[in-house]
Amino acid sequence: MRLQLSKLRHRNDGSSTEPIKCRDSHPSLLALTSSALLLPAYAYADSAPDTATMGVRYSEYKEDGIKAQDSFGGDSERYDIDISQFHLLAPLGSEWSVAFDVQQETMSGASPWFVGQSFDGGGKVIMSGASISDNRTSMSLTTRYYFDRGNVGVTLGNSDEDDYESNSVGLDLTFNSADQQRTYTVGLGASNDDLEPTIGTTPVDVAKEEKESRSLFLGMSQIVSRRAIIQFGLSYTLMDGYLTDPYKASDRRPDERQQWVATSQYRHFFVGADAALHADYRYFDDDWGVRSHTVNLAWHQSLGRNFSLIPSLRYYTQDAADFYSVVADPSQQYFADDHRLSSFGAWTTGLKLQTRLDNWTFSISGERYRSDLSYGLYEGDEAPALLSFNRYTIGLDYRFD
Amino acid sequence: MGGPAEFRASTAPVDLIEHAFDAAQAEVERLETRYSRYLDTSLVTRINRSAGSGQSIPVDTETAALINYADTLFSQSNGLFDITSGVLRQAWDFQASAPPPADKIAECRARIGWDQVQWDGESIALPRAGMEIDFGGIVKEYACDAAAAVLKRNGLDHALVDLAGDIACTGPEHKAHPWRIGVCQPGDPDQPLATIGLAAGGLATSGDYQRCIEWQGQRYSHILNPLTGWPAQGLVSVTVLADQCLVAGSTSTLALLMSADSGLQWLADTGLPWLAVEGDGIVHGTIAEHHTGSAKL
Repeated sequence: MRLQLSKLRHRNDGSSTEPIKCRDSHPSLLALTSSALLLPAYAYADSAPDTATMGVRYSEYKEDGIKAQDSFGGDSERYDIDISQFHLLAPLGSEWSVAFDVQQETMSGASPWFVGQSFDGGGKVIMSGASISDNRTSMSLTTRYYFDRGNVGVTLGNSDEDDYESNSVGLDLTFNSADQQRTYTVGLGASNDDLEPTIGTTPVDVAKEEKESRSLFLGMSQIVSRRAIIQFGLSYTLMDGYLTDPYKASDRRPDERQQWVATSQYRHFFVGADAALHADYRYFDDDWGVRSHTVNLAWHQSLGRNFSLIPSLRYYTQDAADFYSVVADPSQQYFADDHRLSSFGAWTTGLKLQTRLDNWTFSISGERYRSDLSYGLYEGDEAPALLSFNRYTIGLDYRFD
Repeated sequence: MGGPAEFRASTAPVDLIEHAFDAAQAEVERLETRYSRYLDTSLVTRINRSAGSGQSIPVDTETAALINYADTLFSQSNGLFDITSGVLRQAWDFQASAPPPADKIAECRARIGWDQVQWDGESIALPRAGMEIDFGGIVKEYACDAAAAVLKRNGLDHALVDLAGDIACTGPEHKAHPWRIGVCQPGDPDQPLATIGLAAGGLATSGDYQRCIEWQGQRYSHILNPLTGWPAQGLVSVTVLADQCLVAGSTSTLALLMSADSGLQWLADTGLPWLAVEGDGIVHGTIAEHHTGSAKL
């Protein structure tokens, strides 16, 4: 037996990712290729979604009541929020997609109105009347165009409550490197908000105010190995206008706020365990003196083909705003007793179960959030109204064929 | 589709991979359901049942594009590739020890002829009862490309689809490293003939050495020539690389249907990378990285 090798006409050592060229190719081959390219499988350029997906989600958010020792009014209920969400993502031809999101929130309960000095020198909360109730409806519509090396999207958003309306627009561009190992993202966003506080159980002294925000986001994701991907992001937001909370009795904030956020996300897939680790870190800084760190760890464990279980743990720590104090001092230029601007730390533990059957995905999750000054890394005076809450969510998604 | 679908991916997050593989599997199953001649409910079965009834069956755009492709293949090969030639399987039984009698072959041949089929680009009518079409030699290769396109659309840029030896990829395995594809000696899956680097496009191998009849010192392969009704006598196995697995498959199948010399000439003329094994074990080709030694037959 003999071995004959024809002269190497075309080197195919695989080192090139270029399509195989056949410049002087046979007319029959050209005819076949051009006929093949009319088939739908070859008609797509990039990765517009090929099927529509639809999802509904319902969440119950319930804050723990405020304890008697932290409140002048004794035990009090706090906020409950019911949240319903609808999501639809559909391809429009092969290069466009459209996404539509609606969210409806119903809020009820009481929130801290102001903090007063108690006899022992500490602060105690005075809650708003126990019957605040409001509905918020927000909607967003995103149109996205996919091209060979990436995609570009425009998002329009609107959020509406009795006393508040927000309109936003966003533009983002994602671009893949030639070797497909790296992705760059640039985003621009703007929103204009109108406040028209309603006088309910708490008096307000504001008739109509406005605020606006402008933001810029830069991101990069890099495939670091066959099983790992890392993402970095930087964003800057400038807020301008009436940034004071009209429902707080002792609140006056600067009318400008600049925020910087740095994020990193790491995903690592473990073949043996059939699981993925999601490890995220976020740093926040602003010119009100607030700084915060967030670390989020989640373990996405596959259980057979149809189930996955996702335990998660999040740690948050924040330094207080410069003008925060337990009991606000109205003699200062700016002042606030809002616990959200105080120093504290928080732990969130969560568990999510997801199951897939044919085109359906069902998920159920629960979260417990607890915050306390002692959990945090920053010094400060403890706000009496620090939060704890539970959140339960069920979701159902459907993928159309 | 004559074997399990195998998907491989590198460098992508697990949730992405899972969803993409599910979608690609669904795509393969969709094409199988639609085009299998074995499934009672398939479109192909419906078309074949209507043969001779005078009824014209309207088809969707994807099927129309597949039929147009088959039509191009028919005309470019001067009738050597014919999607109506499947009826020859009614005469040829490759489990048997001898070729069928000549009159049986002639009877089947009378029902072959794509040029007699009424095809207007939108609906198809098979003019005589007993005529059949099948997309063997087209649809598995197309499914390979279609599944790869699904993986690509789902964000997998380093993934591979393997449908029983027909292969398509969305890109190299990793950056500058192509997928390494082993091509076996005809008839011996344990004996590597060559390792081929695949960084883009697809690869197809035609020629199944297992399915043939040996009679009076003559080998009758299962690759049947629609013009004679007899097995092709040329090359034994042909592997071709192309931008699409579909084109690779058609190119290699045509090479097998020709005489060995014409087949080699055709392969050389296409300008595509290829590898061919002749009946006497001689290996030809333009694909680098052959294993040393000759094909063992």
